[in-house]
Amino acid sequence: MLLPVAFWVLAVVAVLAGAAVFMVDSMARASYSLAVSFVAVGLLVLLLRQHYVGVVTILMMVMEMAVMAVYMVMFMGMNPALMPMSMVHDNRHALAVSIGVFVLLAAGVLLVPWPARRGGPPVDVTAALGDGLMGPKMLVMSAVGGVMAVTVVAGVVLAAHRTRYDRFGDDLRRRPADDPQPGGVGR
Amino acid sequence: MSEPAVTVVPGGWAPVAAGLLGLLAVTAAALDGFLTARATGAGPSGLSQPFGEVARLMRQRRRTTVAADRLLWRTGGAGLLVMALLIIVVVPLGEWTLFDLDVGVVWFNAMDVLAWAFVWLTGWGANSAYSLVGGYRFLAHGLAYELPLMFALVAPAVGASSLNPGAIVAAQRGLWFVVWMPVAFVVFCAGILAIAVWGPFSPALGVDVAGGVAAELSGVDRLRFLGGRYALLAAGAAFAVPMFLGGGNGPLLPGWSWALVKTVVLLCGLVWLRRRLPAARPDSFMEAGWLVLLPAALLQDLVVAVVAAKRG
Amino acid sequence: MGLTDAWGRLAVRHAHVLVAELPGYWMTRVAVERQVLARGWRLARSPADADILAVCGPPRPPLAQSLTRVWEQVPGPRTRVGVDSPRAVLAALDTAAADLLDTAAQRADGRDRTAEHGGTGRGGRRGGSTPDAYGHAGHHEPPHGIPLAAGGEDRDGLEMDLLRLRLGPVLAYWPAGLVLGCALQGDVIVDAEASLVGVDDATTVAADAPVTDDPRRFAARRCDNAVSLLGLAGWDDAASRARRIRDALLVNSDPDRPARELDRLRRRVGRSWWLRWSLRRLGPLDGPELARRGLPATAVGDVRDRLLAMLDRAADGIAGRHPAGPPLRAPVEALPDLVRGWDVATARLIVASLDLEPLVTGREVSRV
Repeated sequence: MLLPVAFWVLAVVAVLAGAAVFMVDSMARASYSLAVSFVAVGLLVLLLRQHYVGVVTILMMVMEMAVMAVYMVMFMGMNPALMPMSMVHDNRHALAVSIGVFVLLAAGVLLVPWPARRGGPPVDVTAALGDGLMGPKMLVMSAVGGVMAVTVVAGVVLAAHRTRYDRFGDDLRRRPADDPQPGGVGR
Repeated sequence: MSEPAVTVVPGGWAPVAAGLLGLLAVTAAALDGFLTARATGAGPSGLSQPFGEVARLMRQRRRTTVAADRLLWRTGGAGLLVMALLIIVVVPLGEWTLFDLDVGVVWFNAMDVLAWAFVWLTGWGANSAYSLVGGYRFLAHGLAYELPLMFALVAPAVGASSLNPGAIVAAQRGLWFVVWMPVAFVVFCAGILAIAVWGPFSPALGVDVAGGVAAELSGVDRLRFLGGRYALLAAGAAFAVPMFLGGGNGPLLPGWSWALVKTVVLLCGLVWLRRRLPAARPDSFMEAGWLVLLPAALLQDLVVAVVAAKRG
Repeated sequence: MGLTDAWGRLAVRHAHVLVAELPGYWMTRVAVERQVLARGWRLARSPADADILAVCGPPRPPLAQSLTRVWEQVPGPRTRVGVDSPRAVLAALDTAAADLLDTAAQRADGRDRTAEHGGTGRGGRRGGSTPDAYGHAGHHEPPHGIPLAAGGEDRDGLEMDLLRLRLGPVLAYWPAGLVLGCALQGDVIVDAEASLVGVDDATTVAADAPVTDDPRRFAARRCDNAVSLLGLAGWDDAASRARRIRDALLVNSDPDRPARELDRLRRRVGRSWWLRWSLRRLGPLDGPELARRGLPATAVGDVRDRLLAMLDRAADGIAGRHPAGPPLRAPVEALPDLVRGWDVATARLIVASLDLEPLVTGREVSRV
């Protein structure tokens, strides 16, 4: 009894918070409406007894919204105002596409003949999910994580407009480095 | 393990858990008041600091600022207390726990990330330059301490081959994890100090920006925010006990009292650290976090993984 | 009612005091700090944190407006006391405590404020970007009549808003009467303008004479600046020690204990690797730069070097070795140049490390 009620409440919260992202006036409210929506989705995943995936979803999404606040300042200045700022552009096309996709997916969810469950869920649901998704390619998956992190860092280094030569001089010998503000490790 | 490591108590005990957390938070505040009063020399002992502050703040009017984003502001201020309560839901007190979550370690991690949201919201919502600067200082600290903290949490999980706090306690029956995972313990304690905006991580509330995030808070909002900090210190110390300090294991006393004793000792240590260490400025801590703490935590994880692989 | 009274008394036993120091009333401010801490009260960091506003010295017009603005931001129950000399401190703080307990008066004050301002306090200004990318800009009224900040490129090439923030005159660990008008991008100061408020010729003359004559007051002044710098660096233990040394120097005439304590503090501060890590390479100044800006030669090095030099000068003062003649002053005109390009935290550390005396300038206002 509790489970269907929780499911529907969380589902409604997720959809309404998601819609609120586009209806509010300020960037901070938009970010945190998105966070609320994602947290509701994470809790829904928890209801599916996927504990690990659900909690990790909540973790990642809250941290991402906080990082979005950092980007907000980087690209939009000290403080995007409470000045009515529209969060949308090209409304009509976007609305049409999004409604169309929603109808398509909802139709798929409701009309596809889902198979009947055979047996019960395994004891360790998370391990079973991991096995099913990644199976014999577990080592590749772990390595891919590391490679992605390295790629992100490399991308940032390439994009930064101050290079090693700006910091250390043309012969890379100047110490300490010529930074606008000294770093913490004396590099 | 054939027998369960912890027993789940019914939900009606939740207020008791909240009350215990409150007691620990009051203890932390009283100790801090005592240490501050002792440093100034003459004067009252400072032990009544928590009660006096509660009385003063409950008597004080709330205030607001022009064009403050009140919804976000008040949510941020009240959030720290909620975070602390959510953390202790999975912490086993001896052999009792409110919620035996099989991914308890990840739950703690998710809850401590909420600090990023709440402290920043408190800083942003006030529409004040000082509190905004404080909020962004906290995010700068966050970018530096969070990854090392996550990797430090991996160490006990790998050591016990489980993400369940009860199983991690059971795996420490022979030897506490703090003995062979000291780096992870230190990084974890740094993480606790950081989410509570305490000690070296206090620039977000710094006196140089007129109190930072708390610059515009008064009355019951200020009480919630500052009380939340103490509650987070207590909750973090409570979580460190099953992770690194053996939970309720120990001779003579029952499990729950050992857990409480260890929590109080660690909590007192964390409170004491505030006055002893200068603040770590966010821009310099950023480099230290990524270039010193993170590799150290990763090396620690490597050592733990090798030991765990050899054992089983 | 008994319960309300008991609650009020418990609350007032833990009051927070915001101290506003006017130039020339340094001794008064030190006495207020000592008495506040001796009662178990705390020093407030911002008006929102305060119950009592203690003004050291008679407020003159430019400062009177700043003080009124600060007073408006203090939430009730609140009280304001003026203290003109160190002897008047005890009585003033007692009066303040009694005022806070006077519930009827506080209620009347609360009603008056609500009537005047509609129940809201004034807040800081904040900027925002003009939403030109979204095409809805231009015809909206700025919220609450506060104009939005305009943008500009910052040191990393990002377009950031320019926020104008005044540091001072009422700010913890800040030189009395100094106002630093900053233009911030993020929290980096890109432009600054220093001025003094509440200073006239009489004040500078009055502040000039006593400090050079009395070596103990000279040393106490150095310790006071060390308190500010250590407090801003976040090291509360060391700041409390420095404060106790300062009070011991001013209150009693025993020469040995403060000297020993100061020596211990100097060694602790010198040995602290954490403080060295935290303060190194901030605001570095070398000899030619000092000469160019008219700063004293003792200000060479980074913030940590200046802190150690400050403590050394205090020790010299106690031992009677301090240099005779006019006191070393850092002219206020040099400040904007020193803080430009640093963030607010570092700028405050730099200003505190300059060991400013009661201020004197060649000109009233300077601008980068």
